Amino acid sequence: RLCRQLCTKAMTPLSQKSSGTSDQLHQPRCVCFLCSKENFDSIPDLEFNPIRGKIVHAFFDKRNLRQESDGLADEINFEDFLTIMSYFRPIEMNMDEEQLDRFRKEKLKFLFHMYDSDHDGKITLQEYRNVVEELLSGNPHLEKESARSIADGAMMEAASICGPDQVYEGITFEDFLKMWQGIDIETKMHVRFLNMETIAHCY
Amino acid sequence: APCARKEKSAGMGRCPPGSWNDLGLHRTLWPWGQGCLEERFPCAGWHDVPLAFFHLSRKVTSIVPESCLLILLGLGLGGIVLAVAKKAEYQLEPNMFFLFLLPPIVLDSGYFMPSRLFFDNIGAILTYAVVGTLWNSFTTGAALWGLHRAGLMADPGVEAGLMDFLLFGSLISAVDPVAVLAVFEEVHVNETLFIIVFGESLLNDAVTVVLYKVFNSFVELGPAHIHAADYVKGVASFFLVSLGGTAVGLLFAFLLALITRFTKRVRIIEPLFVFLLAYVAYLAAEMVSLSSILAVTFCGICCKKYVEANISQKSRTTVKYTMKTLASSSETIIFMFLGISAVDTSKWAWDTALVLGTLLFILLFRAVGVVLQTCVLNHFRLIPLDRIDQVVMSYGGLRGAVAFALVILLDRTKVKAKDYFVATTIVVVFFTVIVQGLTIKPLVTWLKVKRSDHHKPTLNEELHEHAFDHILAAVEDIVGHHGYHYWRDKWEQFDKKYLSQLLMRKSAYRLRDEIWDVYYKLNIRDAISFVDQGGHVLSAAKLALPSMPSRTSMSESSVTNLLRESGSGACLDLQVIDTVRSRRDKEDAAMHHVLRGSLYKPRRRYKASYSRHFISPDKQERQDKEIFRQNMKRRLETFKSTKHNVCSSKNKARLKEKGCPNLQTNSLHLSAAPVLVMVSSEEEESDSSETEREDDEGIVFIARATDEVLQGKTTPGSLDVCPSPCIIPPSPTLAEKELPWKGDQADLAVYVSSETTKIVPVDMQKAWNQSISSLESIASPPGIESGPQHRRFACPVLEEQPQSASQVMPEQGSCFQFPSHVSKSGRSQSDSSPDGAEQQELQPLMATEEQGRMLPATEPRWLMFNRASHL
Repeated sequence: RLCRQLCTKAMTPLSQKSSGTSDQLHQPRCVCFLCSKENFDSIPDLEFNPIRGKIVHAFFDKRNLRQESDGLADEINFEDFLTIMSYFRPIEMNMDEEQLDRFRKEKLKFLFHMYDSDHDGKITLQEYRNVVEELLSGNPHLEKESARSIADGAMMEAASICGPDQVYEGITFEDFLKMWQGIDIETKMHVRFLNMETIAHCY
Repeated sequence: APCARKEKSAGMGRCPPGSWNDLGLHRTLWPWGQGCLEERFPCAGWHDVPLAFFHLSRKVTSIVPESCLLILLGLGLGGIVLAVAKKAEYQLEPNMFFLFLLPPIVLDSGYFMPSRLFFDNIGAILTYAVVGTLWNSFTTGAALWGLHRAGLMADPGVEAGLMDFLLFGSLISAVDPVAVLAVFEEVHVNETLFIIVFGESLLNDAVTVVLYKVFNSFVELGPAHIHAADYVKGVASFFLVSLGGTAVGLLFAFLLALITRFTKRVRIIEPLFVFLLAYVAYLAAEMVSLSSILAVTFCGICCKKYVEANISQKSRTTVKYTMKTLASSSETIIFMFLGISAVDTSKWAWDTALVLGTLLFILLFRAVGVVLQTCVLNHFRLIPLDRIDQVVMSYGGLRGAVAFALVILLDRTKVKAKDYFVATTIVVVFFTVIVQGLTIKPLVTWLKVKRSDHHKPTLNEELHEHAFDHILAAVEDIVGHHGYHYWRDKWEQFDKKYLSQLLMRKSAYRLRDEIWDVYYKLNIRDAISFVDQGGHVLSAAKLALPSMPSRTSMSESSVTNLLRESGSGACLDLQVIDTVRSRRDKEDAAMHHVLRGSLYKPRRRYKASYSRHFISPDKQERQDKEIFRQNMKRRLETFKSTKHNVCSSKNKARLKEKGCPNLQTNSLHLSAAPVLVMVSSEEEESDSSETEREDDEGIVFIARATDEVLQGKTTPGSLDVCPSPCIIPPSPTLAEKELPWKGDQADLAVYVSSETTKIVPVDMQKAWNQSISSLESIASPPGIESGPQHRRFACPVLEEQPQSASQVMPEQGSCFQFPSHVSKSGRSQSDSSPDGAEQQELQPLMATEEQGRMLPATEPRWLMFNRASHL
């Protein structure tokens, strides 16, 4: 609950960062913002999300936090939270090609890190299977077997795209990029925080 | 098509017309009796002939949109009719248009609307449809009125007040879904742009019709009698009509889904329900003066998910093609009638200022409207619409048959300037469809509009998209923001919990999952393409094939059939190899012919091209030769998996029993040849023949080869040369001569139908899992694999085949090397290879074969048969 309220409060500066002006970022009232994993787990709306674990995990992943070290953070502060949120920025009209490309890569990296649970820079078959199993866990009638076969099928498909060697070692980020060629991730991985009613909470 | 329409007209006749009229139907629904219909419909039938003609000449249609050609043809036909009969015989009657021609088109576009895309963009679509249409109507009407007041319209016949012009403005601002669809389907712009333009054109029809009715009643009242309350009523009725129409659509969608849930035992009328209920939705909305277009559209969009899950595969196909056929024929008829109607000069009167003014204003105001609305919308949209999109959107505002039908509907006594309006509308429709329709393609190319790449949906894409949905919903949850994703997530949960459970069959609901669906569809597609054997499908997708039956075994679908047929060729090969083994010079040719024969049939049956108009590309015939070579190798591989899985099944004993008589015949038949049939191989033999039987259902043998050719063809020593099969001329069936067991297909079929679904899936699943488990451990390529392989005898036919195949497709990475030294050594050792050991080593080998398909470059693949000992 607390986390959620804090998060709600975080909205204002967040959206400003998203739009490029980070002036109000370090306002004192937001510095004390700290989240631990338990806070996330207690968010009621997340309860039905099949890949809840992976998502929450991604919030504490140090790679996503642009930190040098590897592994999981115990707590994230507000700035970290904003960093994560910045992955969900929408594209803007005035971005040039290079920016767009970097933008796209960043978004994909977030996804990649989410899949790559053992932090070795490769999505192995097992990791992929886990993801698919979790994705399908919402449907109680599908057995694990079918989830596995779907993951395997997807892996085969990936193999056909990135070249056959990869299946055995796992999909690297370069292959991951290749898989995403032709798919407009820019149009998909966005959250728009348009509703500014939360400003009222802040003041 | 004419037949379908006949049926429809008959269906209409059956509906009790009296009740509609009693309930205050605003249009007289039944102005012409049954006889009138009879008279009309046969004549409409032959209009489809030119359509077929156009479809044939793709060259023309690649430049000129079909709608233009049809209008031109209609003009020509109308001219002929007019010259002969002195009056235009066939007119586009508004009632016919609204009751028969429009519903199929709207239903088709609603039902096949990509609903996810539609709802993702619903904000933009609604804005353009509602605000845009209102804007267009009012500005065009007002500007024309201004033009009239300025005295620029010279013709004194144009007697019209503001209301008349507003009425005209409302009908002329309807962007027509038929025209838009006809043009944009050929242009292939990116899907966002397409869905916005198309969705707008669908929904704004409803807006237009409502506006038109409001203004029409105002005109009929006369400007003097309109009170302020009437305006309020007009606005209220606008919302009532559109929302009411949507509600009717949703209601019928619900009903339809519910009905299809209980049609398990009456599969044959499932498609009928779909059409009937959608049409009833249309009529019901029409009856209570609600927007029928909206009703059908939403009925189509909303019921699809549940209906598709409920009805059988065959019904799905029927619905799809019937709908497309009906829509295409309606479209054809509309455009032709438009052309014909235009020729009749008695119906219209010309005023240059009005025509030019209208053309100018509709273009101008649409452009202005689009730019203004986009400005606002881009603040709310995640992906802003850029300038190029805006240009295409403003230019894509094609007017069509709806406007024409509406203007024809006007009452001449009330609207004095009707004739002028008719002329103007015809010119506007012609201009937009012909000029804009012709130029939009070059424009799109010139502006470099992002085209849609029609790539097939991939499993990865679907998985990632689902992951995205969940991530986005989760992020919105975390920040406590109730945005689009939040509500979509909530809706999906609601749908899963209640709606789907209520509207879907238990069996369908259990398996209902989008990822599954994609997976399932991909597998079917693989199977189809496997049967089709375009040869261009890369191997990886095919690997998913064996895992498919896990679904098949649970559902009633036809994958099994597909599988069976896809496997059949392979099994046949082996059978031939086994039985005609003695005469090796014959076996190649025989196998080729059997294969070739079985190849033809599936290809004819599954020309899986789902374009609206073009069902089958016919260039495939000449590819036969190449494809054949590639096929053969693949099929043999498939066979291996199929066969060995069957081997390991529990039903082995029974298979053996069944197979034994078969074997007897074989060996009897081949008794003249010096063949050594080992007792130990009997079991396997029976297995293979049994597999063949299973897979045999539905395949008709048309393999042919003359004995002369076969004998004169190869010398016994020329094992390494693959005889070209394609030069053998058609002749008496080889299968009949050589393969006596082919005669008793009837009882085989019985066996097949009862058993296959159970045997194959389980085992293939098993093999699949094994292959995967070995896939995991492949990082260190195990040495054991090469060992048994070397000992194994390589079938000579196979040895040759990959070589020829690799010549055919050198560009593909998946061609397999077939080291000849291995096969030679294998052959020399073949006599000593023990049978039992082979059986056990089979599975690991199988697994590596699966591997090799993905790993062609790194690991040379050897196709082996464990049948060495038979020789």
